[in-house]
Amino acid sequence: MDALLEYAWLAVALPLLSAVLITAFGKQLPGKGSEIGIAALAVSWLLAVGIAWETFVNSPSAPLERSVDWSPLGGGFVFELGMLVDGLTAVMLLLVTTVSFMVHIYSREYMAGEPRYTYFFAMLGLFTFSMLLLVVANNLLLAVIGWELVGLCSYLLIGFYWEGKSNQDAGNKAFLTTKFGDVGLIVGVIVLSAGMFGLTDTPFNIIQINEAAVAGELSTTTIVLGMLLIFLGCVSKSGQMPLHVWLPDAMAGPTPVSALIHAATMVTAGIFLLARLFPVVAQSQAVMATIAIFGVITLFFGGLLALVQDDLKKILAYSTISQLGYMVAAIGVGGYTASVFHLFTHGFFKALLFLGAGSLIHAVHSNNISDMGGMAKAMPHTFWTFIIGSLALAGFPLTAGFFSKDEILIAADIWADAGFLTGSLIYWVGLAAAFVTTFYMARACFLIFAGENRSHHPPHESGKLMVAPLMVLAVLSIASGYLFSPFSPEQPNFETWTATPILDTDSTYPFTEEVAAGAVAGDGILASEATVVAAEAGDGPVKVLHGVPKWHPDLLAIVLVLFGGAVFLAWRFYGKGLPERDPTLHMGGFTRVLVAKYGFDDAGYRYIVVPVRDRLSAAATYSSNVLIDGVVAGVGRATKNAAMTTYGVLDQKVIDGGINGAAFSAAWWSRQLKRIQSGDVQRYAAVLVAGTIVLVLAFAAAR
Amino acid sequence: MSPLGPLLLAAFLFCAGIYGVIARRNAVLVLISIELMLNAVNINLVTFQNLLFPDDPAVTGQVFALFIIGVAAAEVGVGLAIVFNMFRNRATVDVDDADLMRW
Repeated sequence: MDALLEYAWLAVALPLLSAVLITAFGKQLPGKGSEIGIAALAVSWLLAVGIAWETFVNSPSAPLERSVDWSPLGGGFVFELGMLVDGLTAVMLLLVTTVSFMVHIYSREYMAGEPRYTYFFAMLGLFTFSMLLLVVANNLLLAVIGWELVGLCSYLLIGFYWEGKSNQDAGNKAFLTTKFGDVGLIVGVIVLSAGMFGLTDTPFNIIQINEAAVAGELSTTTIVLGMLLIFLGCVSKSGQMPLHVWLPDAMAGPTPVSALIHAATMVTAGIFLLARLFPVVAQSQAVMATIAIFGVITLFFGGLLALVQDDLKKILAYSTISQLGYMVAAIGVGGYTASVFHLFTHGFFKALLFLGAGSLIHAVHSNNISDMGGMAKAMPHTFWTFIIGSLALAGFPLTAGFFSKDEILIAADIWADAGFLTGSLIYWVGLAAAFVTTFYMARACFLIFAGENRSHHPPHESGKLMVAPLMVLAVLSIASGYLFSPFSPEQPNFETWTATPILDTDSTYPFTEEVAAGAVAGDGILASEATVVAAEAGDGPVKVLHGVPKWHPDLLAIVLVLFGGAVFLAWRFYGKGLPERDPTLHMGGFTRVLVAKYGFDDAGYRYIVVPVRDRLSAAATYSSNVLIDGVVAGVGRATKNAAMTTYGVLDQKVIDGGINGAAFSAAWWSRQLKRIQSGDVQRYAAVLVAGTIVLVLAFAAAR
Repeated sequence: MSPLGPLLLAAFLFCAGIYGVIARRNAVLVLISIELMLNAVNINLVTFQNLLFPDDPAVTGQVFALFIIGVAAAEVGVGLAIVFNMFRNRATVDVDDADLMRW
């Protein structure tokens, strides 16, 4: 059974194969290529389930690394093509293949009748391949390749309906915004591996980087600079403020794409990478604090933006931004397991919500919740599954979202106890954001499912192929939470599953030992009086792995009160259908700020897009067309003239003249000399005699 | 006996032969001129044999002259056959007309 791990590459390669086959033969097949995609994903999914099971029951398991040398980098450094299969990889494999499989099945019905149906499935396959490549990569360069490929697929699928200008713009915005962070990512990877030069032949190898960081072989500068630059990549890819602006616009793509790429998988790539490099992150307090602050800003302010949205997909997009903020913040407060766990459960319930949204949009032909209403009766399956997804997102007790989000809050609490202000900040802001999340999801649910039908179409339940994935994901939205809850056993559970040998039960943060020892107590804003308290209490350093979660009645009570309050408030406002005056749209300056999205989009347009487009592009065009082209054309013209001169003088006159002259002179001489051969035998004889006489006289004279 | 007479005779015959070969138009006369030259050589051979090696029991020069006479007879046979064929083909024995082997 252990041999299954060796075949992880197959789970990666199959979607690529399906993409190629669909492109080649898809249009001739009865299912227009969708059957190839679904079959490939089914096999990939089975493999992923096997791998997940294998790593789960044997957890904590040693990572399996297999690689071949791809190409030398020069100087003895080797670029590996390899895979790294451990619990974290298995979690991501399971998540990506499950959601992708569900989205494939769903799309078969949802995308039916689209003119680019086959292309869509090919792109889904390519995306799945790229994401899995990123996940199984054993070195950072390969991960960057996967990272860029998912960005490309995202761009192509956001612009899937490229006939509309706004969809093209959304694709460009997403591509360019994420590309900005990608530059940081690549530079960060190079910085990190530059620190590995001299230590190993394979400076990009993830395990070796982690081990070197833990062993203290990397300098602080390398770690801080490298990880902050890599984090810049995560900020753009995982929709952290202020580079989140592309994600709501990315909803221009088809809804299954939003579910797969812009909710469940691609946008979590940044968090995955941070988790992958967590042993490096854990070396620096500055890096963790930066990550935590970005996360906490995003989780709160991103969530607020969802309050004023009417477009259901944009509500979900902003909630995705907010949830990604939770995951990033969790990394920043040492909640490694909590972050990955939330990534895992969020993938299921957010995919469920997006697919449910797709089902609703399919029924009423509008994205706007103001055009829906009263859908509960007409679409019972969509209704129930959507409610389950909403409860999970809002963190209602005993759903997956509850366990994972509370785990983040508990991690923040532990961090706060260790004396870090970011811990308290995330704990309280996280709770406030949970209230906001519950409120906007309740608002959406009431407006969609309660009251009268405001759409212009009689709503109808979607077909089996769309409902079945909803049900599967609804079950997972609840069940996945029990992998790491007070109900889970000591071993195996989600924590032992995702822990790598570097992160064992004794792992601590190097800087917390100093904090605990009181050595740097009161250092800057990050350490507070609690530091001293913790040090005096003798709690010792904070451990990376927190063990099986316990019930926290105080937290549970707060969560329930917040949940009840938010739902009650939403019911007051929206319980009877769309109110005349939507309260969230009449909050004065607050609403104006939210509607303007804090001005990020406008500022970005005014201070980045316009100057780049009007000045930089014009200057670049001038320099390209006039300066560079002028030089190129001048060089070309000069070369042509030189060639013409050379041709006329050297080739035509000297060389050809020489050759022709030789030929002509030979012909002239031959004309002269041939007259000797007269055919007159007597003349020959006369010459013979004359010659003889001359020779005789010559010999006589020589005597 | 003084060799002067035979040598002068041979020189005269040889020059007459050369003149005939170069100047005569008739192919038969050209052949006869060649015979004159050959016989001039024979006279020379016999003369120098007697002059330089009078005691040679093998009389090499005279035997050599006999060989030349034999070969000359064969040569005349072949030459006359060529002339005869030329006359049959071109109705003339004028050597100036036999000019096919020219440029």
